This record gives sequence, C-alpha cells and structure tokens, in this order.
Amino acid sequence: MYPVISRHLISASAVLLSATLIAPAARAQSRAETLRYVTAATVNTLDPNIPGSTREAFALSMSSYDRLVSFGRKQLNGKWVFDLDTINGELAESFSVSPDGLKLTFKLRPDAKFHDGSPVTAEDVKWSLDRCVTAPVLGKAQLLTGSLTSADQFKVIDPLTLEVTLPRPDKLALPNLATVYPIIINSKLAKSHATPEDPWALSWLKENEAGSGAYIVETFKPGEQAIAKRNEAWNRGSPDKPAFFKRLIIQSVPEPATRANLVERGDADLVIDLQASDVQALEAKGKLKVISTPQYNAVTFISMNNKIPPFDNVNVRRAVAAALPYDDMFKAALFGRGAPLFGASWADGRPPSGGYPIPQPVKLDLEKARAYLKEAGVPEGFATTFSFNVGQAATAEPMAALVKESLEKIGIKVDIQKLPDAQMSTSINEKKLPFFTEGIVAWLPSTDYFYRNFYTGNQRWNYSSTDNAELEEIAQAARFEPDKAKYEAEGKELNAIHFEQMFQVPLWQPAQDAVMAANLDGYVYQFTRQVDYRNLSRK
Amino acid sequence: MGTIGATLIRTGRRFLSSLPALFGVLVFTFLLMRVLPGDPAVFFASGPSAGNEEIEVVRRQLGLDRSLPEQLGIYLYDVGRGNLGRSMMTGQPVAKDLRQRLPASLELTLTALVIALIAAVPLGVLAALRPNSLIDHGVRLFCSLGVCVPTFVSGLLLIYVFYYLLGLAPDPTGRIDVFASVPPARTGFLMVDFLLAGDVEGWWAAARQLMLPAFTMALFVIAPLARITRASMLVSLGSDFVRTARSIGLSRWQIVVTYALRNAILPVITIAGIVFSTMLGANVLVEKVFSWPGVASYALDALLVSDYAPVQGFVLLMASIFVAVNLLVDVLYGIADPRATVV
Repeated sequence: MYPVISRHLISASAVLLSATLIAPAARAQSRAETLRYVTAATVNTLDPNIPGSTREAFALSMSSYDRLVSFGRKQLNGKWVFDLDTINGELAESFSVSPDGLKLTFKLRPDAKFHDGSPVTAEDVKWSLDRCVTAPVLGKAQLLTGSLTSADQFKVIDPLTLEVTLPRPDKLALPNLATVYPIIINSKLAKSHATPEDPWALSWLKENEAGSGAYIVETFKPGEQAIAKRNEAWNRGSPDKPAFFKRLIIQSVPEPATRANLVERGDADLVIDLQASDVQALEAKGKLKVISTPQYNAVTFISMNNKIPPFDNVNVRRAVAAALPYDDMFKAALFGRGAPLFGASWADGRPPSGGYPIPQPVKLDLEKARAYLKEAGVPEGFATTFSFNVGQAATAEPMAALVKESLEKIGIKVDIQKLPDAQMSTSINEKKLPFFTEGIVAWLPSTDYFYRNFYTGNQRWNYSSTDNAELEEIAQAARFEPDKAKYEAEGKELNAIHFEQMFQVPLWQPAQDAVMAANLDGYVYQFTRQVDYRNLSRK
Repeated sequence: MGTIGATLIRTGRRFLSSLPALFGVLVFTFLLMRVLPGDPAVFFASGPSAGNEEIEVVRRQLGLDRSLPEQLGIYLYDVGRGNLGRSMMTGQPVAKDLRQRLPASLELTLTALVIALIAAVPLGVLAALRPNSLIDHGVRLFCSLGVCVPTFVSGLLLIYVFYYLLGLAPDPTGRIDVFASVPPARTGFLMVDFLLAGDVEGWWAAARQLMLPAFTMALFVIAPLARITRASMLVSLGSDFVRTARSIGLSRWQIVVTYALRNAILPVITIAGIVFSTMLGANVLVEKVFSWPGVASYALDALLVSDYAPVQGFVLLMASIFVAVNLLVDVLYGIADPRATVV
C-alpha cells in the first residue's frame, strides 16, 4: 500500500509544482492553441436546419456535428477549395453505390461517439435523416434536390449499417448528404427533449448541441460569441487525430475597421469579411497571410425582370449589357478582387464550355447599345430604377453610380434605390423590381442545378423571371444525364440560350478574402462560403 | 417621513398615468412595423434552397398568416404576460435578449453620462465666470468639436490611437476580453458583478474595456450639458441673491458653488435626463464600433431585417425607460430645489 500512495503523492506534487512554474507559459500556449475568428455576422442557432439560420451558424455546425460524408478538397489556381467530385466518409467508414445507382449503403465507424459518450448508431442516423426530410426545416428543400424526400428511403440494416433507396439514380443524392443540413444528431438525447408539439426537438436543438463533431459548443451567446472546445475523441479529419485548435472563439465584431485592426494587431487570427479596401491595405503591408479565392459557386448579376417592360424586349436587355462599364465597376466595387465574367471572346460565337458560370463575350460598346435600343423601338431610351440592398452597399453603391452614369449616355435614365435587406428580398420575391443587382450561390454548383434553380419557375431565385420552355426542358434533361459528353453539350446549349436571350448579365465571382495570421495554415474555401475550422492549424 | 411618503404616492400616480402612453406606443409600433415594406418571412427563409413553401412555413411560425387585429390581440395578450415574442435573428426570446443587453447599454450610458457631467459642469461654470474670455472661447471650441464630430468618427479615432498605435487600450470588442472569465451574473452590470465576486483584476479589465466607448459617447454630450450649465450659471450669477451674497462678503467658493450653482443646476438635471434617454437609444453607432452588446445595435439589426418582435420590444423598453427617467428627474428636482415637487 505504502509505495502506491507515495507514488501518487510524488506525481501529484510534481503536477502542482509544474503548474505553478509554467502558469504564464501555459497562458501563452493556450492563446496559441485558440483560434479567434471575428465576423460581422453572428451564430444564431446551433441547429443549422432552423429557418433563419445564418451562414455563421452553418459554419459552426460543420464543426459541432458530423455528417455521413464530406467533400474533399482540390487546388484551383494554387488555392485550396472544396471538391464536389471527391466524397469522403465522415461518420461513414465506407459507403457504396449499387450498380443501378438506386441504393446507397453506409457502414458507420464503430468507434464514433457523440459528445455525451454514447455511440453513434444507424438508428441515430435514420432519425436525423428522417427529421431532415420530414420536419419543417431547411434541409427538406435541399435534400429534395438529391431525390431524398421521404423517411421510407432510409433503412437500418444493422446497428452500424444504413441503406438509402432512391426512386431513380441521382448524382446529387450523395453530395447532398455532405451539405450543411443532414447533420447526425444524438437521437436519444434529442428525443428526451421532444414534446408532442415539437416531436423533432427543434426548439431544444436550436439552443443545445447534440452532435459528434470535432468541437463541443461551450458558450453560445447569439449576437456576441460562440465558444467551443476540441472533441479529443474526434478522428474524422485525419486518422487518430482531433482538430488542431483546442479552443475556438467565434466573435461578432460589426465594425469592419475594427476587425481589420484586430487581425492586424494579432488579437484575432482570422477574418473573411473585411472591406476590399482594407484587404488591399493589409496585403500591401505584408505582415498577414491573405488568401483570395474567387467564390466559384457564387455569381453577382445585374438582373432585369424579363416580364416588366421595357426589359421584356430582348434588344433592351442586349442594349443594357452593351452599355455597362464592366472594367470600371469591377475596379470600383471589388477593387478587382474576384473573377470577372465579362470581356471573353467566344470563337464562332458559341460558348466554349458547358460549365456555369462562364465568362461572357460582353463589353462596353455604346454604339452597339444605341443600335440595340433603336432595334427595340426605344431609340430615345426610357427611365427605370436600379435597386440594391443596404447589406451590399459597400460594393453595390459605387457600382450603381457607374451604371447610372453609363446608361445615361444611351438615354436610359436610372434612379438608384437603396433598400433595406428585408424589403429587397420581399420586392424580389414579389417580382416588383425591374432592374437590380443581386448575387446567387449554389452549394452543389453544377450547370443544370444553376439553370433549374435560378432560371425557372415563379420563385424568388429566378431573379430575371425567365420563362423559357426550351431552357427548362434541356436543364431538366441534363439533371439525370449520365453521359458526361452529352451533359457538356447540354450545358453549352444552355449557355448559348442564356447569352442569346441575355436574361440577366453575370458580372463576376467576388473573391472570398481570408485574412489571417501569418502562422495559420490549412485554409480551404468551402461551399458554405465560410471557414471550416477543422481544417486550420498553426505552424 | 411624511414628505417622502407623499412623494412616493405621487410618483406612483404619475407612473399609472403614463400607462396609456405606453399602451399607445405599443400599438403604434406594432402597426408601424407592419406598414413598413419588407416581409420577414421572405428574408428569413433565404437559405440557398428555400422556395415558396419554406416562406409559408416561416410565415405560419411567425403568425403572419393571421389577420392584423388577430395578430395585435395575440401580441397584447403575450406582452401582458411578459412575453415579448421571439427574435428570428438571434433565435432567443426578446425579453431574454433585452434583459441581457440592457445592463450593457445602461452601464455604458451611465458611465458616459457621469464622465460628461464631471467634465461639462466645471467647464460650464468656468465659462460662465469669465464670459467672452479666452477660457469661454476655449470651452466653446471644445464643445463644438465634440458635437460636430460624429461618434463613429471619434470612436474609430480613439481606437486607432489608443488601441492600434499606442496599444494602451484593450481590443475594442465588447464588454470583456474574450479570454477572460465572466463573473457569475447577479446584476448583469459587469462592474458590479466583478466587485460582488471580489475579482479586482477582472473589474479593472472590464473598466478598461469600458473607457474608450464611454469617452466616445461622453465627448458627444459634453456640449449640451456644458452650454446649458454656462447659460443658467450666467443667469444665476447675475441675480439679486448672488449680489447680496457678494456684498456680505461670503467666500467666492460659497457664492459660486453653494448659491449660484445650486440654483443653476435644475435645467442641467433636466437636460441630463433627456440626454441619458437619448444616449441609451441613439448610441447605436458607438455600440457598433466597439462591438458593444447593447440594446440599440440589437434593435437596428432587427429593423434592417424586419424582425418585428425585437423592434417592438425595444421601443416598449425605451418608452418605459423614458417614463422612468423623467420621473427620476422630477424627484431629483425636489432634492435640488425643495420648492419643486412631483405633481
């Protein structure tokens, strides 16, 4: 007995001694092991499925919850971005697709545990996916795009195996399971907080996290900060290793200049929503690492409502497209930070690729614009309004001024309207705005997805109110097209129609400027347009 | 004792008589929010895949599919039970949000007001003692500068100098260093909670965090306070009782402070009350610049996204505070001038 006690005593006193000696060092070290991320936005729910969830909430959920699968990464022009074509297992140790493409089988990791220590079972996966397609949550509309619509499609084979049945082969089914919404929830825990009115525990999960992800949420103060600690047992990133940072602080700092100061002084480690001018200044100073990635799943447009005269006339739309001062707008609005979608030259006037979006053969040519106006029957021009929302004022305001100035030269009088965000989305939804700038983003950016969601139907995202039977038919056919060459041809056809009809004018893909401490490593541009905290480490 | 009791009764009566006004504010804000263009359902159902169906779900959740009188009835019933609704933006009950954020705003505004009063009253008195002297002009210049520089400019300037260049101030992100631990929330006022927890180091950290935003706000309101002090001191210094006091050879200090200032302070208190209420609601720029988790920035964010419940809750709160502050000012009147009482 005696030696045992003494050994305990010795080790205890050693621990105590070292604790007192290294206290200041430990504090410095804990700072090095903490990631402090500052943002204008805020995490407003711990469950990304709740209507109204912010993008910051999406980002945190990527770290606090696991999904069955996740996207890989690839290099695009020397920068790491997410890769739709590489799907890795996350909670799934392995997965397979049946030869006919109708059955997906997922084998779960036997060692995966929720944050309360209980194992992740196929029952949990089924409950979570059922919730995603049944409850009134955001996941429902997303999973629909992958032919996942009903709880009957998810079947538990054994405690570690789940089978998903599809009504038809759908190449978007698997990628959909890697998006933000189909989180895998600790179903026992969630069910214990469900009520008869709220069988899917929506209100409890909004404020409590019940996941198995790389980070465990400790503090959640909407509008201020969210703090999470590392889940030491998590091994879904690289084998046998949890995420790098021990602590994660996501803090809301509304003022962009303050965010820039914080990261420059090294008090914050990472920020992705600085003003373009600040990014440029910080980049020039060279003390920080700036990674600018064109948001290749997003597009900024100048949109025209094709149903409101005079924009119902294709020649008016072409006139506008020929009268926009593209280069000046790109410099004034974005300081040139992004990928332009104008100024291309298409050999023989045909789109060179079936991708979306691709650079368009449009440039500022006032003579041509006047000719189009004449052809449209309005040679003297007309008056219209150009709207943008307050939230985008930093880029849209200089752009609007340039649009107004340039269109005036061909006789189009433009009245600039700056609308509060909610009013802007309402007016767009009600199809009341004739002429405006807006952006779109797709988590699963494929040509047919863009055309089906942003150019068809009487719905909010169809900014241009496009109603083109041919386009719709090709886009629908392309969705289930298994043959790559045919898909490419269909994509080219869609792009040709778009340019021919000039529904709206794609301008550019703005860059995501991630400004970070020089010793930060591993940043990957994600489909959420947010940071995946699990990727990051400090050198 | 009798006078205090009488004051209390009159105070209670005054409070009751302000209830109709509060009710009016409630209904008016409710209607105003509905009249504003902008549909919260469309805004909040704006995930990349949200369609008309999602918008309908949100609309039903918010109760916006019901008729306006029905919505108003439900809202009044809920407010009567102390339920101000739920914010879509933060996902929290509005009452909880406001309860958490009000102490932050109050702490900042009170500190700023105290700083402003400490600076403004002596400045005003000095200026009044030597009208049109160099001191008077100096005070006038200082006041004009304070008023004409908007708070977000002076705030950013102070941050640039004291945080960015000199490194004297802590990073301007909220009430407390993110790496520090928060004291157990007893009152919500960090300065008080730290003292109750006996954490002097934490108290000092929170006080440092408070300084820059408080000075930014104080700079802006020194002007009205100093100007009103000067004006009313001038009147008071020129009046008969001061001449009498001078003629019987009282000390200068006694004349200025005991007789002139005491009589001149009434309008300053009134203005201080108004300034306080205005600062509390209008310091949104300071809150934004310093990431201060206060009520004003909360209400502005909510207004931009047409999140009805927080805006309505905020206006109700502000109206109540306005009533309370005016009452308090009237009570202070009684202390400053025994002839004046709460009527």
